[in-house]
Amino acid sequence: MKSVRNAKSANYLQINHVIKKLLSEEGVILRPSAEAYEEFEEAKKYLDKRPSEGYFIWVRQQISHPLSTCITISSPNIHQNINNLIIVDPGINVEIYSICNAAKPVLCGVHEGYTKIILKENSSLKLRHFHKWGVSDEVKTVTEVMLEKGASMLSFYKCISPLKKLSVSSTAFLEKNSSANFEVSILAKDEEAELYESLFLNGDNSNGIIKLRMISDRNAKITSHSKIVANGAGIGHIECMGLLLSNNSIISSIPEIFTKNKEATLTHEASIGKISEDEINYLRSRGLTEEEAISLIVTGFLGETLLH
Amino acid sequence: MLKIKNLSVKVDEKFILKKVNMNIKDGEIHALLGPNASGKSTLAYTIMGFQKYKVSEGEIWFRDINITNLSIEERVKLGIAMAFQSPPAIKNVKLSLLLKRIAKEKSIFNMKEFSLISNLLEREINVGFSGGEKKLSEIIQIISLKPTFVILDEIDSGLDVINLTKIVKIIQDKLINNGVSILAITHRGDILQFLDPDVAHVMLEGEIICSSKDWRKPWETILRCGYEKCKECEERELLTN
Repeated sequence: MKSVRNAKSANYLQINHVIKKLLSEEGVILRPSAEAYEEFEEAKKYLDKRPSEGYFIWVRQQISHPLSTCITISSPNIHQNINNLIIVDPGINVEIYSICNAAKPVLCGVHEGYTKIILKENSSLKLRHFHKWGVSDEVKTVTEVMLEKGASMLSFYKCISPLKKLSVSSTAFLEKNSSANFEVSILAKDEEAELYESLFLNGDNSNGIIKLRMISDRNAKITSHSKIVANGAGIGHIECMGLLLSNNSIISSIPEIFTKNKEATLTHEASIGKISEDEINYLRSRGLTEEEAISLIVTGFLGETLLH
Repeated sequence: MLKIKNLSVKVDEKFILKKVNMNIKDGEIHALLGPNASGKSTLAYTIMGFQKYKVSEGEIWFRDINITNLSIEERVKLGIAMAFQSPPAIKNVKLSLLLKRIAKEKSIFNMKEFSLISNLLEREINVGFSGGEKKLSEIIQIISLKPTFVILDEIDSGLDVINLTKIVKIIQDKLINNGVSILAITHRGDILQFLDPDVAHVMLEGEIICSSKDWRKPWETILRCGYEKCKECEERELLTN
């Protein structure tokens, strides 16, 4: 499998407002979203207007490796307004790594990203979305996912580098037998972060999970609104976990479950607390310093099992 | 090696340990016996340097260094290690990762005992481990630190005879045979006959009320009369150094 974790190997690379790389491959249509709007009816159908920047990915055949995109801000005071569209054709399984970042720590950039994802019948998408910004950047990312019958999506969003302001919003509409699993992990420091995650279980036997991992450090405020609405006989679960690393930080977690269908089952659990002293002592008794112990626990808390 | 002098310890302003004295020499094995909540684990955590356990009086010396005010990791660096009775779960952190971080020598990964935890390596630390698996994981972690003094906190609790024998064999081969000093804390005493300690101490209500060079003497009394009668025992002895 080819490496997908750096810009060099990206299928789509945009720096500031300029597309630096656009690498289509067999079975995958890749265009600037503005071009796609003119070229494909399918794109026009899902895009409200002609985008100014962003990508269009249409996966038409099964591919054996992940796709990757990278959108960077590298100059001061850039304001990106990205419109992406991803369509996965019926029965196709695809994995996408998406990286959005700032090349330097203080660029005062604004990144607004709107991504629409259409998963046709029985298709699946694993989307790993990583953000790495500077302390003066403001970021707003909005994702809307339509899951047709039998489609499934696993979305993992992670932002652990402190920035000025972060707003992450994801909404998924699920038809019959489809499933969506949204995981969001953020670490905020001197930052204001807002998370909005919503799943609409419209079809019978649809199921969705929202899993939030939030860490709030010095002068940070995190507010999360997570909602599952069951219109069909689906199953949904919300799990919100928060860790406060300092006293002048705030986490506010508001889970909401709403059902109109008596056959639906919705549950939620939420907890906010500090790092367990027992865990820190345990790791320190293995020779780690307090900082190393906290770092290990925090990284584990944010969700990805630490590999070798 | 380890000298505890007149140690009194408070937790949340309440005295738990009262004027405890103990002298563990190089290569010696000491057992600390006592009923539940008698202060045995408090002594272990205080030796390790956990902040919650406040030393109000006395000192702890390790290899001629006063460690009373040292941090946990500084004590570990000096050669002190502890196997926990109930180790906490560390979610999403694999045991193999921790072992790679803490192991003093890479040869740990080649020793035959390591194969006993091969099924645990790719699992999150202590998440869903059985009682026996936790004890094995604790012992292997301890060995990887190459300590000179080890506290075994209730290492025999919740183990069947087969698992206890397995654990004791590792302790014998990798710790005792290498001259490591041991303080074995035990409530039920299952491990005594395997370790054959040089000294056995009995702790009641935070005080050591008996220290004997023949562990069978206090243990047989405890078996016969229970811990509560220890205070009344006329044969109890205290070692002065």
